[in-house]
Amino acid sequence: MATDDSDNAQREQLKKLQAWQRKVQLLSDTELYPGAVSFLQKLVDEEEFSALPNSQVAGLFSVSLSPKYSDLYDFVKHQRDRNWPESKRDIKTFYTALERYLAEMHRRCLRDDFHLLEGERDTRQAANEIMVLLAREFIQHLLAENGLLALRVRPRRSR
Amino acid sequence: MNQEMKIVREVSVQAEGFYSDAESMGKHAAEALGGKRRAQMTGLENIAEGAFKTSDIFDYIKKQTARFEEWRRGYTEGDQSYGSFGLRLKDYLERNIAGRRDTICGPNILNFSNQTEEGKRERQRIYLLLIRQFIRQMVAQYEFSVKFGFGEGTGDGNRRQR
Repeated sequence: MATDDSDNAQREQLKKLQAWQRKVQLLSDTELYPGAVSFLQKLVDEEEFSALPNSQVAGLFSVSLSPKYSDLYDFVKHQRDRNWPESKRDIKTFYTALERYLAEMHRRCLRDDFHLLEGERDTRQAANEIMVLLAREFIQHLLAENGLLALRVRPRRSR
Repeated sequence: MNQEMKIVREVSVQAEGFYSDAESMGKHAAEALGGKRRAQMTGLENIAEGAFKTSDIFDYIKKQTARFEEWRRGYTEGDQSYGSFGLRLKDYLERNIAGRRDTICGPNILNFSNQTEEGKRERQRIYLLLIRQFIRQMVAQYEFSVKFGFGEGTGDGNRRQR
């Protein structure tokens, strides 16, 4: 009997995850991709941001695959708060902006702006699970765009 | 005619409309990548065929462009010069193909709202169908150009292999 209950709970959890993934697939194209492009463009325009270096790209990509949103968010805050030398000002600029963006995305998620929390009893827990999916998509778009940005910056730096 | 048939017809009509652009882009790909980088074109085609999101295709093009010098090569066709292959392809898909999606999803043809979730999902699906068509056409021209040479369909397929 206990096994039946556990199977049912797992099935329900899987169904919920699939429904979220379908919605996140749509949000990824309609909101997260354009959001990532304008996020970087804004940093370039307003903060003279060049590009995130490759070592940071690899680290951020790897932590974005974590199943716990808190792992990613803590990493971003940690990178933001490190005492970076002036030559690495871009890294601090990037993580400062990313922390703000993720915090706002989390607030929107809790307000159910993305329409993903319907029927959830523990909305805080559900929002954290959804944030794993949303943040992962957003960061993957950011890193792809950052690759193009690095190309534009390279000739400027080598002058 | 049911809705699905209408979609197939409208996508086909648009595909006829962008055929010459796909041909030009296929020649550009052949010039930039040559015959030894065929796997990168089939890789792009596979990504496009299997993608659930258009952003996966754009991210792939961006990553390839950042990673490989070949994807950044320009091309001259007649008196027209083009910059980086990867950026040209990305911009074309994001602007021209998106414009065609808006046309066929608009109120005069398929009438898919971009306000409702269902409408947005249909628009996303149609965008993917259009991109796949374009990439199939482009890759076909690429294969033809690397095999038979560029432009006039004559010449040695290995001529430009790098």
